[in-house]
Amino acid sequence: MSRFLFVVPPLTGHVNPAVGIAGELVGRGHQVAVAAHASVVGPLLPPDLPLIALPGDLPTAERDEIERRGRALRGPASLKFLWEDFLVPLGDAMVGPVDAAVDDFRPDVLVVDQQAIGAALVGRRRGMPWATLATTSAELDDPYAVLAGVGEWVSDRLDDFSDSHGVPRGGSDLRFSDHLTLICSIAALLRTHDHPDHYAFVGAAAGWRRPAPDFPWAALDPGRETVLISLGTVVREIGGRFLQAAAEAAGLLADRVQAVIVAPPGLIVDPPPNVLVREYVPQMELLERVGGVVSHAGNNTVCESLSRGVPLVVAPVRDDQPIIAEQVVRAGAGERVRFGRATPAALARAIDAVLDPAGTYRAAALRLRDDFATAGGVGAAADRLEKLS
Amino acid sequence: MTSPGIADLQTDPAEEKILEQVATLLREVIGEEYVLDLQITLETSFNEDLELESIEFVTLADRLTATYGTRVDFVGFLSEKDVDQVINMKVGEVVDYISTSLAASDG
Repeated sequence: MSRFLFVVPPLTGHVNPAVGIAGELVGRGHQVAVAAHASVVGPLLPPDLPLIALPGDLPTAERDEIERRGRALRGPASLKFLWEDFLVPLGDAMVGPVDAAVDDFRPDVLVVDQQAIGAALVGRRRGMPWATLATTSAELDDPYAVLAGVGEWVSDRLDDFSDSHGVPRGGSDLRFSDHLTLICSIAALLRTHDHPDHYAFVGAAAGWRRPAPDFPWAALDPGRETVLISLGTVVREIGGRFLQAAAEAAGLLADRVQAVIVAPPGLIVDPPPNVLVREYVPQMELLERVGGVVSHAGNNTVCESLSRGVPLVVAPVRDDQPIIAEQVVRAGAGERVRFGRATPAALARAIDAVLDPAGTYRAAALRLRDDFATAGGVGAAADRLEKLS
Repeated sequence: MTSPGIADLQTDPAEEKILEQVATLLREVIGEEYVLDLQITLETSFNEDLELESIEFVTLADRLTATYGTRVDFVGFLSEKDVDQVINMKVGEVVDYISTSLAASDG
């Protein structure tokens, strides 16, 4: 049996895949712990997964301020903000505490989230086996495209980061371990399908989720198609306009569609009778029942949907979401709409198109479901990590 | 923030025509109703006003090549830009670049 230490940044979307893979390793009898900031990550961990709390948890006010500034930005400006004001300072703050956690826990393998560059630096500096966990495939899908200067800028920030901690730059920068890079996606969704052997596309890394008790399954009408509408946790608070439009779109399709919208109470004003609004939903169970998903193109929701053969309407907001949305569109498994402007009529048309049982979107999603099954999910990720230990 | 060069452009009929063409292409690339009503000027910013993502720059480059041919190397133009120049880029710069490229190839 081996010891694995996962290091996760305080970003919700990055926690679930780590938890899924960590849980699989626990199930196989390994010793596993997660090093992360308790306030954000703690509630998302299952009871049997020990947390090594990292110090420097941001005060709520400070985190709110970063979020507020980040929300106003799109495109390359948002990317620059993410690295300069969040990931690099986070990396600096993580180096010491993660190093101490490695001394204490003595892992055989360090499993480092792709954006937790401080932990990657610790792995490289110690010369120990470490794996990158890429919870989105965007970095491998030519994300900067024709904006070469933007890509160079990011890469320079990583080189500066290594230099400032006196660690030699490796063969790849700190976003990619030379030992093993686990990618929560399938190669078929990317532009290029040729990747080195130490890149492992494991599909959807779904595992334990915070329970969503009392979901009113009986309220779902078996005679109508169900659509799940979810913007994930990060954008929930800025998604009011979009979710209102989505609720109205569902209202326009009431004769054949019902919607489950993930939103805090009161965010959607006067939802139509065929719309069920819930703050937490059992997403994996729901995906077995829905005909389509409307999402911000967060990689987890996209991969989980496609792994169940469910097509999507994607409305990317920022970060990797435009890239992931493009993957869905390129694969023919869904339609893209504009997050900021989509009207109820435009959303209703897109939802109708993805729900069409004879439509091409569903057929494409079903083909991708097979690719996801082959990729192996958390089991395949655990296999690769065991080989590294 | 209007530079003298950009102000001059506004009176040039050839550049007016290029602006019109670029605005049409941008509307096609963004592809939603709201841009039909959006006034795209030389001062319109790609990042803040149009919220163009990196993948949409690729589509725009394809459309520009289809419109102007290889005389206008938009990909080459973009590859010279650093991150701040990309963030602050305005439609006027692209119009200016197209105009210069076309003039150079005519001469």
